[in-house]
Amino acid sequence: MALFGSSNAPASSEDVKAAIVKQLQQEAALANARILIAKVNEHCFERCIPAPGSSLSSGEQTCLSSCMEKYISLWNVASKTYVGRATSESKKVGQDIHAMAALGTGNSE
Amino acid sequence: MDAEQAQVDISKLSDADKKELNQILTNEAQKSSIQQTVHHLADVCWKKCVTGKITAGRLDKSEESCAQNCVERWMDTNLAVLKHLETLRGQ
Repeated sequence: MALFGSSNAPASSEDVKAAIVKQLQQEAALANARILIAKVNEHCFERCIPAPGSSLSSGEQTCLSSCMEKYISLWNVASKTYVGRATSESKKVGQDIHAMAALGTGNSE
Repeated sequence: MDAEQAQVDISKLSDADKKELNQILTNEAQKSSIQQTVHHLADVCWKKCVTGKITAGRLDKSEESCAQNCVERWMDTNLAVLKHLETLRGQ
Protein backbone atom coordinates (compact mmCIF):
# COMPACT_ATOMS: atom_id res chain seq x y z
CA MET A 1 0.00 0.00 0.00
CA ALA A 2 2.71 2.46 0.97
CA LEU A 3 4.63 1.33 -2.09
CA PHE A 4 1.91 2.63 -4.40
CA GLY A 5 0.78 5.53 -2.31
CA SER A 6 4.10 7.01 -1.36
CA SER A 7 4.79 8.46 -4.79
CA ASN A 8 1.82 10.80 -4.86
CA ALA A 9 1.14 11.05 -1.15
CA PRO A 10 4.05 11.64 1.20
CA ALA A 11 1.48 11.25 4.02
CA SER A 12 2.88 12.85 7.10
CA SER A 13 0.88 12.49 10.29
CA GLU A 14 -0.63 15.88 9.50
CA ASP A 15 -1.73 14.73 6.01
CA VAL A 16 -3.29 11.56 7.33
CA LYS A 17 -5.17 13.50 9.97
CA ALA A 18 -6.44 16.05 7.43
CA ALA A 19 -7.57 13.26 5.09
CA ILE A 20 -9.49 11.50 7.85
CA VAL A 21 -11.17 14.71 9.04
CA LYS A 22 -12.14 15.63 5.50
CA GLN A 23 -13.64 12.24 4.80
CA LEU A 24 -15.42 12.23 8.13
CA GLN A 25 -17.03 15.59 7.50
CA GLN A 26 -18.00 14.72 3.96
CA GLU A 27 -19.66 11.51 5.01
CA ALA A 28 -21.44 13.17 7.91
CA ALA A 29 -22.78 15.90 5.62
CA LEU A 30 -23.85 13.32 3.06
CA ALA A 31 -25.63 11.19 5.64
CA ASN A 32 -27.41 14.26 6.99
CA ALA A 33 -28.49 15.35 3.51
CA ARG A 34 -29.75 11.84 2.72
CA ILE A 35 -32.04 11.82 5.73
CA LEU A 36 -33.33 15.30 4.91
CA ILE A 37 -34.05 14.36 1.29
CA ALA A 38 -35.83 11.17 2.35
CA LYS A 39 -37.99 13.11 4.81
CA VAL A 40 -38.83 15.84 2.30
CA ASN A 41 -39.72 13.17 -0.22
CA GLU A 42 -41.95 11.35 2.24
CA HIS A 43 -43.82 14.38 3.55
CA CYS A 44 -44.09 16.34 0.34
CA PHE A 45 -45.22 13.37 -1.70
CA GLU A 46 -47.95 12.74 0.81
CA ARG A 47 -48.97 16.39 0.89
CA CYS A 48 -48.64 17.42 -2.74
CA ILE A 49 -49.57 14.25 -4.63
CA PRO A 50 -52.78 13.01 -3.02
CA ALA A 51 -53.86 11.26 -6.23
CA PRO A 52 -50.94 10.32 -8.49
CA GLY A 53 -51.75 10.91 -12.15
CA SER A 54 -49.89 9.90 -15.28
CA SER A 55 -47.40 12.74 -14.75
CA LEU A 56 -46.70 15.55 -12.29
CA SER A 57 -48.97 18.52 -12.96
CA SER A 58 -47.50 22.00 -12.81
CA GLY A 59 -49.55 22.61 -9.68
CA GLU A 60 -48.00 19.56 -8.07
CA GLN A 61 -44.53 20.69 -9.04
CA THR A 62 -45.11 24.13 -7.53
CA CYS A 63 -46.43 22.48 -4.40
CA LEU A 64 -43.35 20.26 -4.20
CA SER A 65 -41.00 23.26 -4.45
CA SER A 66 -42.90 25.19 -1.78
CA CYS A 67 -43.15 22.12 0.40
CA MET A 68 -39.44 21.48 0.20
CA GLU A 69 -38.58 25.05 1.18
CA LYS A 70 -41.11 24.92 3.94
CA TYR A 71 -39.77 21.68 5.34
CA ILE A 72 -36.23 23.05 5.39
CA SER A 73 -37.47 26.21 7.16
CA LEU A 74 -39.20 24.04 9.71
CA TRP A 75 -36.05 21.98 10.14
CA ASN A 76 -34.08 25.14 10.84
CA VAL A 77 -36.64 26.38 13.37
CA ALA A 78 -36.62 23.00 15.09
CA SER A 79 -32.84 22.96 15.17
CA LYS A 80 -32.56 26.48 16.57
CA THR A 81 -35.23 25.87 19.19
CA TYR A 82 -33.81 22.50 20.20
CA VAL A 83 -30.23 23.69 20.51
CA GLY A 84 -31.40 26.81 22.38
CA ARG A 85 -33.42 24.77 24.83
CA ALA A 86 -30.72 22.17 25.27
CA THR A 87 -28.19 24.90 26.01
CA SER A 88 -30.34 26.66 28.60
CA GLU A 89 -31.36 23.35 30.12
CA SER A 90 -27.78 22.26 30.47
CA LYS A 91 -26.88 25.51 32.22
CA LYS A 92 -29.79 25.01 34.59
CA VAL A 93 -28.96 21.47 35.49
CA GLY A 94 -25.24 21.92 35.21
CA GLN A 95 -24.88 19.20 32.63
CA ASP A 96 -23.34 19.83 29.29
CA ILE A 97 -25.26 20.13 26.06
CA HIS A 98 -24.21 16.70 24.96
CA ALA A 99 -25.86 15.00 27.88
CA MET A 100 -29.05 16.76 26.83
CA ALA A 101 -28.55 15.61 23.29
CA ALA A 102 -28.23 12.07 24.54
CA LEU A 103 -31.49 12.49 26.46
CA GLY A 104 -33.11 13.77 23.31
CA THR A 105 -32.26 10.72 21.31
CA GLY A 106 -33.32 8.43 24.10
CA ASN A 107 -29.87 7.00 24.55
CA SER A 108 -29.81 7.31 28.31
CA GLU A 109 -31.37 4.64 30.51
CA MET B 1 -8.18 3.98 -4.61
CA ASP B 2 -4.62 3.05 -3.71
CA ALA B 3 -3.62 6.68 -3.25
CA GLU B 4 -6.60 7.30 -1.03
CA GLN B 5 -5.83 4.21 0.98
CA ALA B 6 -2.25 5.34 1.47
CA GLN B 7 -3.43 8.75 2.61
CA VAL B 8 -5.33 7.29 5.49
CA ASP B 9 -2.57 5.03 6.71
CA ILE B 10 -3.25 5.48 10.39
CA SER B 11 0.06 4.01 11.42
CA LYS B 12 1.56 7.32 10.32
CA LEU B 13 -0.37 9.24 12.95
CA SER B 14 1.55 10.76 15.83
CA ASP B 15 0.18 10.27 19.32
CA ALA B 16 -0.81 13.94 19.52
CA ASP B 17 -2.74 13.71 16.25
CA LYS B 18 -4.42 10.50 17.36
CA LYS B 19 -5.60 12.28 20.46
CA GLU B 20 -6.83 15.24 18.48
CA LEU B 21 -8.65 12.97 16.02
CA ASN B 22 -10.31 11.22 18.89
CA GLN B 23 -11.68 14.54 20.09
CA ILE B 24 -12.83 15.52 16.59
CA LEU B 25 -14.54 12.17 16.22
CA THR B 26 -16.35 12.58 19.52
CA ASN B 27 -17.51 16.05 18.50
CA GLU B 28 -18.75 14.83 15.13
CA ALA B 29 -20.63 11.98 16.78
CA GLN B 30 -22.35 14.46 19.09
CA LYS B 31 -23.17 16.75 16.21
CA SER B 32 -24.61 13.82 14.32
CA SER B 33 -26.67 12.79 17.35
CA ILE B 34 -28.12 16.30 17.63
CA GLN B 35 -28.94 16.29 13.92
CA GLN B 36 -30.72 12.96 14.29
CA THR B 37 -32.88 14.44 17.02
CA VAL B 38 -33.65 17.49 14.89
CA HIS B 39 -34.65 15.23 11.99
CA HIS B 40 -37.01 13.44 14.32
CA LEU B 41 -38.41 16.73 15.66
CA ALA B 42 -38.92 18.16 12.18
CA ASP B 43 -40.77 14.98 11.25
CA VAL B 44 -43.05 15.11 14.29
CA CYS B 45 -43.64 18.87 14.20
CA TRP B 46 -44.32 18.92 10.46
CA LYS B 47 -47.23 16.57 11.03
CA LYS B 48 -48.57 18.68 13.88
CA CYS B 49 -47.93 22.19 12.59
CA VAL B 50 -48.14 22.20 8.81
CA THR B 51 -51.63 20.98 8.23
CA GLY B 52 -53.05 23.56 5.80
CA LYS B 53 -52.67 23.76 2.05
CA ILE B 54 -49.10 24.49 0.99
CA THR B 55 -49.10 27.75 -0.94
CA ALA B 56 -45.80 29.38 0.03
CA GLY B 57 -42.27 28.19 0.58
CA ARG B 58 -42.03 30.06 3.84
CA LEU B 59 -43.46 29.13 7.20
CA ASP B 60 -46.24 31.49 8.18
CA LYS B 61 -46.28 33.06 11.64
CA SER B 62 -48.60 30.53 13.21
CA GLU B 63 -46.69 27.59 11.77
CA GLU B 64 -43.42 28.99 13.05
CA SER B 65 -44.66 29.52 16.60
CA CYS B 66 -46.33 26.11 16.47
CA ALA B 67 -42.99 24.56 15.52
CA GLN B 68 -41.24 26.32 18.39
CA ASN B 69 -43.90 25.21 20.85
CA CYS B 70 -43.77 21.72 19.40
CA VAL B 71 -40.05 21.42 20.10
CA GLU B 72 -40.33 22.98 23.56
CA ARG B 73 -43.22 20.71 24.61
CA TRP B 74 -41.45 17.67 23.20
CA MET B 75 -38.49 18.50 25.42
CA ASP B 76 -40.86 19.03 28.38
CA THR B 77 -42.36 15.63 27.67
CA ASN B 78 -38.94 14.07 27.55
CA LEU B 79 -38.01 15.55 30.92
CA ALA B 80 -41.39 14.69 32.46
CA VAL B 81 -41.04 11.07 31.42
CA LEU B 82 -37.57 10.85 32.90
CA LYS B 83 -38.70 12.55 36.08
CA HIS B 84 -41.62 10.20 36.52
CA LEU B 85 -39.38 7.26 35.81
CA GLU B 86 -37.17 8.49 38.63
CA THR B 87 -40.10 8.49 41.09
CA LEU B 88 -41.17 5.04 39.93
CA ARG B 89 -37.72 3.74 40.60
CA GLY B 90 -37.75 5.26 44.09
CA GLN B 91 -40.89 3.37 45.09
